[in-house]
Amino acid sequence: MELSRRRFLQTSALTAAGVAAAAACGKSSSPNGAAGGSSTISLWYWGGGLSDKVVADAVKHFTSVTVKTSVIGGDFKQKLLTTMSGRKFVPDVTGIKGEDIASFLPRAERFIDLNTLGADKLASQYLGWKWKQGSTQDGKLIGFPIDIGPTALFYREDLFAQAGLPTDPATVASQLASWEDYFSAGVELHKALPKTFLLNNVGSVFNMVVGQGTTRFIDTNNHFIGDQDHIRRAWDLALRPLQLGVDAKINDNSWNAAIGNGALGTEIGAAWHALDISSAAPGTKGTWRVAAGPGGPANIGGSFLAIPATSGNPKAAFDLISWLLSPQNQARGFTDAALFPSSPASYTLPALTAADPFFGGQKTIEVFGPAAEKIPVAYEAPADAAAAAPYFSELTSVETKGKSPDQAWADAVSQAKSIAAKQGVSI
Amino acid sequence: MATRSTVEPRPQPGSAHRRPAAGRARRRRRVLSYWPQYLAVSPFFVVFTGFALVPIMVTFYLAFHDWDGIGDPKYVGLSQFRYLIHDHTFWLALWNTLVIWLLATVPMLFIALVVASMLNSAKRLSGFYRVAYFTPSVTSLVAIAIFFFAVFSSQYGIVNATLHVFGVPAVPWMTNPWTIKIVIALLMTWQWVGYNAIIYLAGMQAIPTELYEAARIDGASAAQRFFRITIPLLRPIILFTVVVSTVTGLQSFTEPQVMFGSNAATNPNSGGPGQAGLTVMLYFYHQAFDNNDFGYGAAISWALFLFILLIVAVNWRLIGGRDR
Amino acid sequence: MSRRLRVGRRLGLHALLMLGVVVSLFPFYWTIVMATNTTEDIYRYPPKLTFGSHLLVNIRQVFDSIQFLGSLLNSLLVASVATVLVLFVDSLAAFTFAKYRFPGRDLIFGVLLGLYLLPTQMALIPQFILMVDIGWVGSLKPLVLPSLANAFGIFWMRQYSLQAVPDELVEASRLDGCGFLRQYWHVGLPTIRPGLAFLGIYTFISVWNDYVWPLVVLVNPDRLTLQVALAQLNTTHITNYSVVMAGALLAVLPLVLVFTLFARHFIADATKGAVRG
Repeated sequence: MELSRRRFLQTSALTAAGVAAAAACGKSSSPNGAAGGSSTISLWYWGGGLSDKVVADAVKHFTSVTVKTSVIGGDFKQKLLTTMSGRKFVPDVTGIKGEDIASFLPRAERFIDLNTLGADKLASQYLGWKWKQGSTQDGKLIGFPIDIGPTALFYREDLFAQAGLPTDPATVASQLASWEDYFSAGVELHKALPKTFLLNNVGSVFNMVVGQGTTRFIDTNNHFIGDQDHIRRAWDLALRPLQLGVDAKINDNSWNAAIGNGALGTEIGAAWHALDISSAAPGTKGTWRVAAGPGGPANIGGSFLAIPATSGNPKAAFDLISWLLSPQNQARGFTDAALFPSSPASYTLPALTAADPFFGGQKTIEVFGPAAEKIPVAYEAPADAAAAAPYFSELTSVETKGKSPDQAWADAVSQAKSIAAKQGVSI
Repeated sequence: MATRSTVEPRPQPGSAHRRPAAGRARRRRRVLSYWPQYLAVSPFFVVFTGFALVPIMVTFYLAFHDWDGIGDPKYVGLSQFRYLIHDHTFWLALWNTLVIWLLATVPMLFIALVVASMLNSAKRLSGFYRVAYFTPSVTSLVAIAIFFFAVFSSQYGIVNATLHVFGVPAVPWMTNPWTIKIVIALLMTWQWVGYNAIIYLAGMQAIPTELYEAARIDGASAAQRFFRITIPLLRPIILFTVVVSTVTGLQSFTEPQVMFGSNAATNPNSGGPGQAGLTVMLYFYHQAFDNNDFGYGAAISWALFLFILLIVAVNWRLIGGRDR
Repeated sequence: MSRRLRVGRRLGLHALLMLGVVVSLFPFYWTIVMATNTTEDIYRYPPKLTFGSHLLVNIRQVFDSIQFLGSLLNSLLVASVATVLVLFVDSLAAFTFAKYRFPGRDLIFGVLLGLYLLPTQMALIPQFILMVDIGWVGSLKPLVLPSLANAFGIFWMRQYSLQAVPDELVEASRLDGCGFLRQYWHVGLPTIRPGLAFLGIYTFISVWNDYVWPLVVLVNPDRLTLQVALAQLNTTHITNYSVVMAGALLAVLPLVLVFTLFARHFIADATKGAVRG
């Protein structure tokens, strides 16, 4: 790799080399990217990706090395990729989001196989499908599971009460079990409270319905299946709220205000979404409840920790990972940052079974636990996220520009096909 | 233009064409004797060549390859460009970029002309006005983008609140594809009107007042004086501002990136709902640094460069090439 | 025209101009309002229009979250260094172009003009790779390069030198035995100092406000410049808007203050250059 870069440079830039020589005496990047050598371990994660308190404790706990943590804002994946291209300042431990892990697996050589550091001994402590999600097809573990994203329905109990809808979680779950039931409830809600909508946008429905299935956009033979019935069904369901007038059409940051001022009566999302709600609208504490979501559970999100191959101290890095993600600390992650643990041992711990004051004292494990057990597992190809993107853009076009749904569907499929083809998927 | 100045020991400057061989040696020595001058002007060229010129050539080279930054670049001929032509998102981005630029530049230049002529007539407070109007152009674009996003927000922005006072219903500024473009265009206009107005003002003040006097004596109205004297004489300056705003405006990146940055997780191409704010530069950035598709990114850069050239040429014909 | 009509027209003119001033300056006022209140105040309807008392609280949160102070100092460092370098390099080159004749001078200057028109932002990828390969990625060093590669400074200083530096002085100093560098230092620099002031402020402002290049090249999260840090603040604190606005205020205020101090100077020279150029 290093050699081909040099050759590349030389064939195209004599002067560039001259600049380099004049400027920095031809300094080349060292394989150990972490500043300070192997006695410092750097950790990158995004806000809410790990519990800040657990991270702070990790810094105190590990005395033989210095743990340096950075919360990276903005587009985490882009920052990580750019830094890895730069081969400098690459962290020893990095978070990887669930929706991104599939695209990193083909480049498994950029990371250290955690099984070689002893991860395989811990495999039994974590959910099988999650473990598999972070592994390559030939069994290398790239991502160590942090959390999973079992989905449920978050709803405003007070607004439901005002609209004459059921308020306790069990009844809500049974009466809003199917998508159509859910949408009808939304019509009632909106009729009683004109300022309140059922959900934020149609994309969230599409995402959820696709996640509730066992196939996605590309099958295990690397063949494009995004034009088939299961996706079409998700598409049509997603547009129902728009047709019924219960869609708030919020696609930007004004969600933060909307969630607090009662413009949104429900949210469909994963367990970690609770943190988004509570930090955006602390004033609504006590008014939200959780119930089993329409159409059954899915997994949305849930992340991993990985060790880039450039790490100078992989052993210490792995010690940090296994400490941060032990069942006890994962339980703390749930309390602090609504990260639903990927280790079943945590589910019986007090942190998980406690009543959540934000949800009016409800024990949310009673909803998320069963949901976690029933999560359907689907194959996610590396090109899946990229191929899915046009569907979301086109849905938003229908939502905000009034584009014809059939035209939007055709455009989404054709764009998805060309994006997939560019990444080597057969269509 | 000021007079040429020479600091030259020899009586005849310039190069000669018909000299004997000995003269060539003398010439070489002469050229070499100017080494301080060459050295003095060289830093720019060294930096520019290394940092700009060669990278531009490399971009050209990369556009014919497929490269993700790790392995070797793979030669793929024209396939990146072929993909580009069929890439719906690219054309959408190009359309967005052009529309936003038009929405911004045309009103901005008109308003700048009007403001300049108002400033020209204002005898008092002119210093204060100039500072006030110029200030937006020295402000950080990141901060302005954050600010405009907050102010035009559908749920809590002050713009909708003000409209509400006048009984106008809330406008979904940051959701509707057209209003998104309008907001970005407003941002650009706000930032640059003052700057351009003051440039026009300087140009106006260079116009001799006798021209206006003569016209007034001939019975020309204020409007006629403006359109027949001011505008034509300002033409080169107007052309300058149009070209500059073309080159910078068509490369806009910061506004949509900062405004819709957090959407990147759910919508990889970002640019807001319906990608209405996706500019070519932003699309390029996502392809290059989000997908690590350096080859395709290079192809997009080239397309943008050619597009900018095209628009600048159009501007030149429209504004500059008419008279003389 | 009657006196009353004239006064009326003048008042109308100033009223319109004042409206423009309000439009130009209102965002600053409003940013201060948002930065001094809490986020709930911002989200409220009708929104609060006056200053609050939460500025210090917000600012402290800004400094807690991202190394804002560090990034501010980094911006200051980079902008200052870039400004000094540009002033020296460009004024020397411009002085040379303006006051000296040497073979190929006009050709070289013409090439300069042509190169100036190239939009260099399209070369972002190779520029990034170049920084990676010479080991400059993640450091602040690359940030001075764009302004050094920008020929605007040379054009501007050359215009200025042509008018401001008297040939006789240069000739006199040469006859006195000053070498080329001495001539620049003793004759050129003092006479072009006002032009330097403009170029210096211009360079400082554009380096301070630069966003795209730092965004790409500053891969080290502990070493950012102010604009990049502010954009990060915008996403990490998306739910706490008053903190973000406090950050924006900190990013904008120093420059605006410096600018208003030197404004008259700056604007006069800017327009001179634009008209002549």
